[in-house]
Amino acid sequence: MAAIRQTFFQECEEQLAELESGLLAMEAGDSDSETVNAVFRAVHSIKGGAGAFSLEDLVRFAHVFETALDHVRAGRLAATPEVLKIKLRAADILADLVRAARDGTEVDDNRCRALADELRALDPNGGVEKEDDLSDLNFQPVLVHFDGLDDDDEPAAFSAPEHVFSIKFKPRPSLYAKANEAALLLRELSALGRMQVKCDASDLPLLSELDPEGAYLTWEIELTTDKDEAAIREVFEFVAWDCDLDIEMPGADAASDIDDDLSALLARVRASADEGPQAEAVVGDASFGVADETSNEPALASAPVVALPSKQAPNKAAAEVDAKSAAPTIRVDLDRVDRLINLVGELVINQAMLSQRVMEAGLARASAVAVGLDELEQLTREIQDSVMAIRAQPVKSVFQRMPRLVREIAAMTGKSVRLVTEGEATEVDKTVIERLADPLTHMIRNAIDHGLESPEKRLATGKHEEGLVKLSALHRSGRIVIEVSDDGAGINRPRVKAIAIEKGLIAPDVILSDEEIDNLIFLPGFSTASEISDISGRGVGMDVVKRSIQALGGRISITSRPGHGSTFTMSLPLTLAVLDGMVVTVAQQTLVVPLTAIVETLQPKAADVHGMGDNARVISIRNKFTPLIDVGRELSYRNSAADPLACVALLVETEGGGRSALLVDAIQGQRQVVIKSLEANYRHVQGIAAATILGDGRVALILDVDAVVASSRAEPGFYDNALAAVG
Amino acid sequence: MTRTQTLLLPMDLDAVAAASLFEVLSTMVGHDVTIDGSRVEQIGGLCLQILLAAVSTWKVDGAVLEFTNLSLDLVAGLELLGVRPQYFLERETSQ
Repeated sequence: MAAIRQTFFQECEEQLAELESGLLAMEAGDSDSETVNAVFRAVHSIKGGAGAFSLEDLVRFAHVFETALDHVRAGRLAATPEVLKIKLRAADILADLVRAARDGTEVDDNRCRALADELRALDPNGGVEKEDDLSDLNFQPVLVHFDGLDDDDEPAAFSAPEHVFSIKFKPRPSLYAKANEAALLLRELSALGRMQVKCDASDLPLLSELDPEGAYLTWEIELTTDKDEAAIREVFEFVAWDCDLDIEMPGADAASDIDDDLSALLARVRASADEGPQAEAVVGDASFGVADETSNEPALASAPVVALPSKQAPNKAAAEVDAKSAAPTIRVDLDRVDRLINLVGELVINQAMLSQRVMEAGLARASAVAVGLDELEQLTREIQDSVMAIRAQPVKSVFQRMPRLVREIAAMTGKSVRLVTEGEATEVDKTVIERLADPLTHMIRNAIDHGLESPEKRLATGKHEEGLVKLSALHRSGRIVIEVSDDGAGINRPRVKAIAIEKGLIAPDVILSDEEIDNLIFLPGFSTASEISDISGRGVGMDVVKRSIQALGGRISITSRPGHGSTFTMSLPLTLAVLDGMVVTVAQQTLVVPLTAIVETLQPKAADVHGMGDNARVISIRNKFTPLIDVGRELSYRNSAADPLACVALLVETEGGGRSALLVDAIQGQRQVVIKSLEANYRHVQGIAAATILGDGRVALILDVDAVVASSRAEPGFYDNALAAVG
Repeated sequence: MTRTQTLLLPMDLDAVAAASLFEVLSTMVGHDVTIDGSRVEQIGGLCLQILLAAVSTWKVDGAVLEFTNLSLDLVAGLELLGVRPQYFLERETSQ
């Protein structure tokens, strides 16, 4: 049951995403019937599933929401911006109710009631449905009768006329595979009226020929209800693709070979008959008899007792077929995928070791073994890429959380905001996606709270009163680049610099470029907020955002034009499992420098290296001074400074777009390495991002370029001197 | 004379339990079996069809399949699924 519940909530998240994107599309003017139907279906599916699990709060709200959506669907209500605003807020509450049901928490009842009233008020006929009218949504199982209708089942005065429906319901295997359950559907159906059920097992084979995941049973149901056929179809709507369903109201449909008048007469005669057919549950052709008294023969003392475990993992992942897509998909437990990724990582390491051993053995490059190894390497790469692709997901799952955030922050700040998203289908590893949500949330908050001006100010400066926040994603150079931009006032550089000086973050007389001033907002302790607001000033500064991105192996930079807005650009690796790196030697230690950080490599010349203060040095590269950082000293591998002329410099670009030159002893070559967490296996080491196992079996540390550059800048006097040299 | 084996059904006879129920019953074919339903709290379509197929299989084989201690929840679940509990309580013996 827990597994089915989990699947239900997973599917709810998908439906909520559909709902929100549909409503946003409608808000943007796309109100075609397909979009409207998709929105309606999403709420209806959630309601149906919630009913099966007796999640009454969720069912009640979904019902009111669904009714309001049905008015739009039926053309009784126009999808005006005001109407859509209410529905978007309703979608937010529906999402809260789903998550509350999942996590066992509560949602403020007053919020739900207030919005339910707003939804009811949308009824174009002015008929506001009272809560009491939702009594038909009681999902308590109704007693199932097997002995015909009770004689005293008189319909209440003024109640709707009752109909007797004959329903034939045959699940297909996919119904069970999608974690739906015939019993739950029958229970929901029983809530509509009085029900008699007959189970037809005539298609059921013997155990030896039975597929335990097959579907062999058909249920013939006779339902006496005051509801119409649509209400019955509603019960089955979210399994419509996965079952054969026949609903007939005896006498309702005319035989084609007799004339209409006669058929109408027959229908009236049939409808007037009080007695429905007596149903009897049968299995195959066997009628159920009254039980004989079972004898109480004692079982043999030595007889084995087999107890089935309460829960066992299914031996096959549930297949999920998307009705809208031709490509079938399966849900796979993430642990299995992770295990596969780890195994492929080991394969890569072993393949590298094997290659190295063969090289050490002195085999010719053209030998059959060497050629075979090359092919193995290529194959290993392809396997690795394919496995990584399994974990890759579109960023849509994170992006789709942002419209709600924008609505909430806009409401809190009194600003009018339009969010535009681009590149939602851009894929990145699931782990990266999961860890993107927090920094993105903060950046969007920041863009609205600090970036966008008030509507009055925007109008005064000739801008549209509605501010624009754009969120986009794209692949670039084997990384994913995510941008958050706004068309607000841009960074107020004089104010930023003044605050940084006031807080002692920079020296008062330091000369900074615009780019450097912009990057001051990433310094710990920096805040432009004069008072802490509930929005972006929650004690979380942009330095935390920057650290989160760096922890993912990413970089963040900012560009800003006064009066035109700001753009935050995050560049992240596509996966946290492998890395293309430059293998270097520093003080007899082997290190890996991420290739994405390296701009170029160069051999320093005496004329280009200059001392700055006691310890710092800069190198002139194409007439531009760049800080020269001795990696060996920064990592405490040695106390004395390395001779730059005997070393190699790696020109690297840091997250702020600034450049530094890292001094290493020698370059061994480029290699793709499997990333192993140092924190998980050892502890955090300053300046080191992770570790890897090289082809010869040795552990090599992967350099955290930004951390090494930052720690070198933290040395007293360095920042001022280096910048003075540049100036 | 064969020994009677006892199968104690789990609390949840849901879709997740179907594979293991099928597996265990398949290993018992041909033996006299008593199925104890005292712990069952819910039953779904997949497990129902496995139990029904078991009844037919044992009938063909001529071995004894006996259901005992059906819990109230199991009885209610069977009724919801259109199967009278008596069907399972009817003792099947060799012909």
